[in-house]
Amino acid sequence: MDAFVIFFTRYLPAFADGFLITAGVAALAAPAALIWAIVLIIPRLAQWTWASRLVDAYVEVMRNSPLLVQMYLLYFGLPLLGLFWSSIVCGVIAIASQHGAFLSEILRSGIQSLSQRQWEAGSAIGMRRFAVIRLVILPQAFIKVLPALGNQLIVLVKDTSLVSAIGVMDLTLTGKMTIERSGASFEAFIAVAFFYLILTSTLGLVLRIIEVRAARRYG
Amino acid sequence: MKNGFLSKLRSVFAGALATMVVAGAAHAQETSRLDELLSRGKLIVGVSSESPPFGFVDEKGELVGFDIDIAKLIAKATFGDETKVEFVRQSAAQRWPNAQNGTIDFGAQTTSIYADRAQKVAFTRSYIDGGVVMIVRKDAPFQKLADFNKSDVTIANLTTPTQEERAKRLFPSAQIATFDGIAAQFNAVKLGRAQGAQLDGPVAAWYVKQNPDMRVIEERLTDVVNTGIFMKPGDFRLWQYLDLTVSEMTGGYLFADYSKIYEKWFGTKPLNVKWYLNQPQK
Repeated sequence: MDAFVIFFTRYLPAFADGFLITAGVAALAAPAALIWAIVLIIPRLAQWTWASRLVDAYVEVMRNSPLLVQMYLLYFGLPLLGLFWSSIVCGVIAIASQHGAFLSEILRSGIQSLSQRQWEAGSAIGMRRFAVIRLVILPQAFIKVLPALGNQLIVLVKDTSLVSAIGVMDLTLTGKMTIERSGASFEAFIAVAFFYLILTSTLGLVLRIIEVRAARRYG
Repeated sequence: MKNGFLSKLRSVFAGALATMVVAGAAHAQETSRLDELLSRGKLIVGVSSESPPFGFVDEKGELVGFDIDIAKLIAKATFGDETKVEFVRQSAAQRWPNAQNGTIDFGAQTTSIYADRAQKVAFTRSYIDGGVVMIVRKDAPFQKLADFNKSDVTIANLTTPTQEERAKRLFPSAQIATFDGIAAQFNAVKLGRAQGAQLDGPVAAWYVKQNPDMRVIEERLTDVVNTGIFMKPGDFRLWQYLDLTVSEMTGGYLFADYSKIYEKWFGTKPLNVKWYLNQPQK
């Protein structure tokens, strides 16, 4: 126990910095992934056949390749093309493009679960197709898939740990750094796990509140 | 009164005697991992498989390197047979738990000796030391260390504490990017993500030999780092055995074997730690 206390007090500032970086990456990547997911389902909703096929192909590629490999490709591959995006930018792009694909699949399942009558009712009162999508379909689909979305967002937050592989001093790399410094691997990983837990449980709480409110409003 | 004093004295003696007997018994039963590995008939050694030239996988898929040969030399000294050794490949972070929980007898993994680490594992004396150098692209404009101290320069670091401190001390104006493996650190420089990286001298020499588009800055970062064999703390007999073996390698009866290994990996002869045994350089 003493060892833990000494360790935490000594390395708390470093972990606090790492925590902020991880929270920052998550705060950038999560909205980006959500927006990207919505962009990805537009072709399907608008019934653009070719674009939908492209999106399907993209989702397949994203779902079936490891995020770490994508990050390496962006971070170490882009310089060969003369593009020097910073490691955080590469990390956020990789996370957003992969999780955007997953989130768009979740949204799609929500949209498909809505009855055809919703579309018909929308057109019956004279709405255009895009108005139906914006005002009738998407809000209902969102509420249906909120639990699944929440799960995916928590996975996204944990996946930010992979930016440690491309030189971002996040929680995970801070953990590795303190292990190298102190040899205290258990203490360091317990500290890392603890901070991730704070982050994901806060997110979980926020999602819970949104779910309850949505249920009250539309349920 | 007198009686009281005498009886007190007697009880003190009795207590002291009892303590000695118990301590002696405990000493006689002191188990050491040394007995375990001797009866097992082979060493279990933790090594790196991704730190050339100390421990890495060659084209044939075999685990080779300076640390690997050092472990084989200890096996040869222990069992008279250098094949009596089982290697556990571990990452930098896995070193400490594997040593502490007895997964390995000891580790020979290009591990520098720092006080912080020595609170968690026991180190032998150093079996090789080395300076640290900066590695850059061949076409880079850098000539001396001072050239790196600019705000538009990024230094690629490993997650080790000394690299961080050194970078902050020598290049306070430069940016820092940290990686958790030498390969990633090296690639960061090779692909232009960073302009320079600190590597141990032997490691840098190895990488430059493999990559002709890279070079080493002549001016060294003057620090000496000592590399020790590490093990679970508190096992005095095993620690003393290993420390003695290392001392014999670097300046005793195993020095000839040690020299052969050193020359094989670094291309130069090592100096004997007993300075008066070294022939004057002509």
